[in-house]
Formats: sequence, structure tokens, C-alpha cells
Amino acid sequence: MSKLGVFDVSVRYGKVPALTDVSLQIEEGERVFISGPNGAGKSSLLKAICGAVPTTHGRIEIGGMLVAGRPPEAIARLGMTMVPEGRDIFGTLTVEENLRVGTGIRRDRDAIESDIDEIYENFPILGERRQANAGALSGGQQQMLAIGRGLMTNPKVMMVDEPSLGLAPNIVDQVYETLIRLQKDRGLTLVIVEQSSARAARVGGRMVLLRGGTVVDEGDAAEFAERDLLKEAYFGQSAEEPA
Amino acid sequence: MNAIPQLFFDAMSLGGIYAMAALGIALIFGVMNLVNFAHGEYIAFCVFALIVPSTDAVAVLFLGKAPALLLIPILLALGAAIAVASEFVVFRHMRKATPVAMMISSFALGFVIQNSLLLIYGSRPKAISLWPDLNKPVSVIGASVPLLQIIVILATLVVVVALALLLKKTKIGLEMRAAAENFTMARLLGVRANVVITGAFALSGALAAAVAMIMVTQTGVADIRMGGQIMLVAFIATVIGGLGSLPGAVAAGFLIGAASVILQAFLPLDARPFRDAFLYTFVIVILLVRPQGLFAAHSAKPRV
Repeated sequence: MSKLGVFDVSVRYGKVPALTDVSLQIEEGERVFISGPNGAGKSSLLKAICGAVPTTHGRIEIGGMLVAGRPPEAIARLGMTMVPEGRDIFGTLTVEENLRVGTGIRRDRDAIESDIDEIYENFPILGERRQANAGALSGGQQQMLAIGRGLMTNPKVMMVDEPSLGLAPNIVDQVYETLIRLQKDRGLTLVIVEQSSARAARVGGRMVLLRGGTVVDEGDAAEFAERDLLKEAYFGQSAEEPA
Repeated sequence: MNAIPQLFFDAMSLGGIYAMAALGIALIFGVMNLVNFAHGEYIAFCVFALIVPSTDAVAVLFLGKAPALLLIPILLALGAAIAVASEFVVFRHMRKATPVAMMISSFALGFVIQNSLLLIYGSRPKAISLWPDLNKPVSVIGASVPLLQIIVILATLVVVVALALLLKKTKIGLEMRAAAENFTMARLLGVRANVVITGAFALSGALAAAVAMIMVTQTGVADIRMGGQIMLVAFIATVIGGLGSLPGAVAAGFLIGAASVILQAFLPLDARPFRDAFLYTFVIVILLVRPQGLFAAHSAKPRV
């Protein structure tokens, strides 16, 4: 149902190609890391899938439904949610209002209140600050809010763009713990942009490496981490890309 | 004499009209970065909808004959309808255009509406008597005030409170606020762009109709050019208030109304004809000190 298929997808910004003929299959309930250097097209891939940027070529299917060309609000209704890079919290809205923005697409209106309570159980700090302006939250809290906000759309697939960006390592650990727990509880399909192969290996999952707008390699995250360690040993520097 | 309460009522009622007109512009700017210069023509359209189409100098009431309880909702709906129609016919096709291109289109749309009115009703201003009883003075805390002024002040309060409640308490209100801050993110969460934009245009058009009813009762004239003057002041109010900020639009509307009334009262007689020059100097000073406006709105994010 929530199987995600990307077939020969290209994206360009004006004349600049961002993605060229990218293909990718993601199974229901799978966890996939998208990695690669800056400018490799990681964010563009996520944006193309959720409809935030138009594709110039190829097709994208969610659960067998063709999505390329549909507006983002229609794709959200197919069970796709996005936690963007930089989080894009609505800073002038309260924490609770942020959580409610995405509930308009749900048919199970009765479950919304209990879902909000569940989010507050998962993220107690959000519960404490539910009436505060979301712009006043710390970076880590905003990341939690962005994830919670995405969950409130009741998604089948959640895409998270660089959850570790600008966060202290212990907070990043918390974010990942939460994501894994949520995935287990809800059977979510997770697609995460993560630059660090070491962290991806610790969390576990498949890794897809992009470079110059194309998929150059894919496999188990642990293998990637091992290879990166090896490179580090040979070349004496971290093979991980700076965030 | 009771010059101070009198001034207060003058300032509040003029400010109320400006505030409502400015709100109509700020609402649309908030969700789609469009300064809709056709807004003044929505007002003129609503005024002319009150009378029988003809080029005669004396206006015969048409819609205006309906009892107030019927007329008010009809005219509000008519204002909403022309605004929504203009979105559907013009602005919907320009979602990806630059704000400048959209603004110029709004000028063009304004001219089309104005010239259509010109064609049907002629260019001469027409005397029109809608609710003449409202201009009878009543005595309030020692000041002699036309009943209409009090109604305008109350109506502005009702409109502002109703709008605040709508934005704060309803689903479409929440979606509009989210979309005004970050349209793309709101859409990624399933907020329908068309619903939010249509909603903003409908509210904006209804506000134009409210302004139209007040202006026509106050002045007793239907004039093809009446939209342009109020549009100018309302636009300046939205800029001073901070483009896109609704509280800013209201505050600045009242501020300009008050400043205008106070200048009129206290300038030396010889200087009074140049009141607007003083008024706009004051506007320039405000913008020099706070170029982002009194209430800086959250950054103008890319549309759709």
C-alpha cells in the first residue's frame, strides 16, 4: 500500500539539473537513508516525491498511485508527509496549532485529540509548551515538533530531511530513538536524509548514495560505515561529509 | 464646547473605514504576496450594485431598496463574489508569476472593473440616499455625533473581533495563518492552496462591501473614482502596519484616520488645504524610522 517507487526521475532548477534519471524502490515499513555530498540532490529527491518541486521526467508512485504532477496537498492525502530541512515550523503559531495544521486531511476526526495527547506523551516538552509560540522553541524541540506535526497527518510514509542538522549529538540520538520507536509503533515507512554513514549504521537500514544527481551506490548502511572507516584509516581524515 | 469627544468620534470612524479597507488588502497579501490594487474597485462595484443601472444623474435605488437586514448579507456576499471571481479569472493563472506581475495585473483588473462601471453608469457622480436616517446626530457624552459614526466604530470592532475569532478558532483560519507564514509547508501538510486563497479573497471582498456601505451612507454619493482614493490610503496603511500583518493593518488604519482628523482640526487655517502633504510627511517619517512597518510581519515567504 505504502510502497514507494521512483522511476527515472529528473528534476531541474532552470537549466541546472538537480536529479538525473533517479530510480529507487522503497518497501512498506522500510527504513532508507539517503546520503551524499552537498548538492548531490538529496533534498531535491525528497521534494520531488512530496510534490514541492516539479519533475521534468520520470514517474513517482505511492502505493501504485501515480503522484508526479499532483500538487503537494494531494500527495499528502496519499499518506506522504515531509519533515523538511530546517524544520519549517510555523513560528507565529502555537505548538498545538502547528500540530493541528495537518489534521485537515484526516477522516478519523475523533482520533485527532487522542493523537495529540500521544504526541505530548512522546514529547513531554511539547505538552508543557503547547500554548507557547513555536518560534520560541529550541532547535531540538522544533525538530520534535516538526516530526509530531508530520505524524498528525496520520501518514504511511515519513520523509525526514537532515534531522541532525544544527542539533547537539545527544539531541540527535533522541530524535532517532523517537523516529525508530514511532516506526515500530505505526509501521511507518521512513526515508531519512543523513550525511553520516556511521550514524545510519548505528540506527540500521538501507543506504542510498547520491552524487551529482544520480544514485551511485546502495546497500546496507553498516557496509557503508565500514567502507567510510576504511577510507578514514587510509586517508587520515573523516570521510563523512560536513553537515 | 466638546471638541475633544467630537474629534475622537471623527478619528475613530474615519480610522475604522481605513482599517477595514487595509485589512482587505493585508489578508490577500498575507497568503499570496499580492497587493491587490483592484480592491478599491471592489468597493466601487458594491456601491454601484445598490442602484439601478443607468447613466442618469439621479440614482434610483435597486438593491439599496431592500431592508437592511437583507441588504447587508446580500452586499457582503456580492463583494465576496466579485473578489472570488477575480481570483478565479485572473490571479489563479498567475500563481507562479512574480509579485510585480501580479500587482500590475491587479491594476489592469481594477481598470476593467472601473471602465465597466463607467460604461453602464456614466462618469457623473450620482447622489444616492442609503439609510439617510443614520446621518442624524445623536448626543453622546456631550458631543453631537451622527449615528453612523457610532455604527462605523461598532462595525469595525465587530469585524475585527469576528476576523480574529475566525482566524484563531476555525480550521480555515488556522490554515490561512499557516499558509501566510509558509505556503509550501502548509501545502505539504495537506492544506489546499485553492481553498485558502479563495477564502482570503472572499473575506477581502466582504470587507470591501462593508466599506462600500459605510462610505455611501456617509457621503451620499456614488462615484466611479471613489475606490481609488480609499485604496491609496488603505495601501499606505498596510505598508505602515507591516505588509501582511493584520493587527498592523488595523492599527495603521486607525493611526492614519486619527492623524488626518487631528491635522484637519489643529493645522492653521492657511495650511489646512495642504493637510495631506503633512499627513504623508508623517507617513514618510514612520517608514524612515521603521521601514519594515510598525508590526513587522513574518518574512514574506515564496508563494505556492
